[in-house]
Amino acid sequence: MLQVLLSGLSIGAVYGLVAMAFAVVFYVTRVINFATGQLLMVAIMLTAGLSKAGLPDWLSISVGLTASTAAGVVIYFVAVRPVLRFDRFSFAWLVSTLGVAIVLQSAAAIIYGPTSQGFPKLLNRDNLVIGGASITLQELLAIIVAVVAVVGFEIFRRRTLFGKVGMAISSDPEMASAIGARVTAYAVAAFAIGGLLAGAAGVLIGPITYANPYLGDTYGITGFVALMIGGIERPAAAMGGGLVLGVLSVGANTFIGSQASDWFPFVVVVVVLLLAPHGLFASGDALKRLASGIGRRTATLKGAN
Amino acid sequence: MQALDIAGLSAGYGRYDVIHDISLRVERGEAVALLGPNGAGKTTVLRAIMGMIKQRRGQISVLGTDVSRMPVHLIARGHVALVPEGRRLFLDQSVEDNLRLGGLHLRRDHERTERLLESVFELFPVVERYRSRPATALSGGEQQMVAIGRMMMSDPDLMLLDEPSLGLAPLAIEDMAQALITLRERGRSILLVEQRVDLALQVCDRIYVLSGGRIVEEGNSENVNADGRALIDAYLG
Ligand SMILES: Nc1ncnc2c1ncn2[C@@H]1O[C@H](COP(=O)(O)OP(=O)(O)OP(=O)(O)O)[C@@H](O)[C@H]1O
Ligand SMILES: [Mg+2]
Repeated sequence: MLQVLLSGLSIGAVYGLVAMAFAVVFYVTRVINFATGQLLMVAIMLTAGLSKAGLPDWLSISVGLTASTAAGVVIYFVAVRPVLRFDRFSFAWLVSTLGVAIVLQSAAAIIYGPTSQGFPKLLNRDNLVIGGASITLQELLAIIVAVVAVVGFEIFRRRTLFGKVGMAISSDPEMASAIGARVTAYAVAAFAIGGLLAGAAGVLIGPITYANPYLGDTYGITGFVALMIGGIERPAAAMGGGLVLGVLSVGANTFIGSQASDWFPFVVVVVVLLLAPHGLFASGDALKRLASGIGRRTATLKGAN
Repeated sequence: MQALDIAGLSAGYGRYDVIHDISLRVERGEAVALLGPNGAGKTTVLRAIMGMIKQRRGQISVLGTDVSRMPVHLIARGHVALVPEGRRLFLDQSVEDNLRLGGLHLRRDHERTERLLESVFELFPVVERYRSRPATALSGGEQQMVAIGRMMMSDPDLMLLDEPSLGLAPLAIEDMAQALITLRERGRSILLVEQRVDLALQVCDRIYVLSGGRIVEEGNSENVNADGRALIDAYLG
């Protein structure tokens, strides 16, 4: 049981980082960047490629993370800003970010070929045993990075002036610009942070998945599911969704069958969206609402019988 | 030099202009009212001055600075500040954060920021009492005070207010009018959009009447006698 929890949290941390990458961008710009999974893939492929070419691991990883961060910014300028300038309320970013995803994926497949390549191992040779359950240092690192990302983001958001301006932009971008906020600069920063978070997720999962151009699809979708489970309105909620999804997926693999994590997340997200349409952690007292939601629905069912 | 000098301003949304060839001015330290019926284009005039409408033609200068082609966030840095229709506070943040956000461009000038904060609290003691509450937890009248305070915090050359009396109880309206009079007495330049003629005449030195996107009447508040009021009322419908 503890093993399921630990393994679940570590993979969930990776889902959560991807979900947070979606959520930070959405928080500031109200845009969902459908190329988020491909940003993860960019970090993995570059890191793997450079490491194979003989660069030291730390340097390959730094370049990989820088590239995914920069790619996030490029996506904003190429696929998002032009369509929003044309019409602030348009949904054309839906198509344009998906387009970027396909372009990135195809480019990676052409450059690296469709097969998997090795990924530099960071820490995963050593095991830590906690109360009978074991966790690799790599897995532990994922959890630590996730915690740092969430805590860091929340402190930044609530305690710094920049964070408060970000909150203002999130709730009313036009009014925020009317008090002097540079909304575009914040959008750029959000896409950069999104790229960095997705890249970090990639570097953390790379040693397990190896490097493959199609990883973006897998993790983009899982990250999006985690986002839906946790709640899209707050990046911290997205991370919560990732952790829940990770634990449930590992649990499904352990208790239902080895392929259960392929379909189980979708069952989870459907159930969550029925009971708590804005996500489990959309507001502070989400669990209370979830409980009352279950109560209400059971009452309705009983009434119907 | 005028606090606001508008010449030949046209602005609108999409393919159509909703205000046409507007010319108006606000002297330094003067309070001016812009009256008009629903849909006359009053909000559009304010939004155009603030730079919130891209589609604008004509000349707008604020204390000698041409802001006609400046982006909003630069206009907001000490030139113009707006209390918008519906207040639009940042509801998930505290009252004090709302105020401090208003003074964003002065963030490095701590002394000035604290002084401005003091002057807001002096004008609205209630706001000081509720400074750490979330803005949502305030009544409509209190929120309006915070919105005015947020505007004051940027120490702007020109203050714009869009129907600040809307949705307020009579007593709250009286308080708000007193606050605006105090601001005028402190030498601030104000352009006030209102539908309540009595309030506008009480607060302002001069008035303009806007109808169908054009200025149709202008005059001094004192000269608006019974006939004038009847005329304005006719325009306001
Ligand atoms: N965002 C918008 N897009 C298109 N048309 C708009 C928009 N905002 C306002 N209009 C139109 O512009 C005209 C003037 O609107 P405006 O809001 O400036 O009037 P107003 O005088 O402030 O009215 P009210 O007293 O009701 O606030 C109206 O006909 C309105 O339909
Ligand atoms: Mg209006």
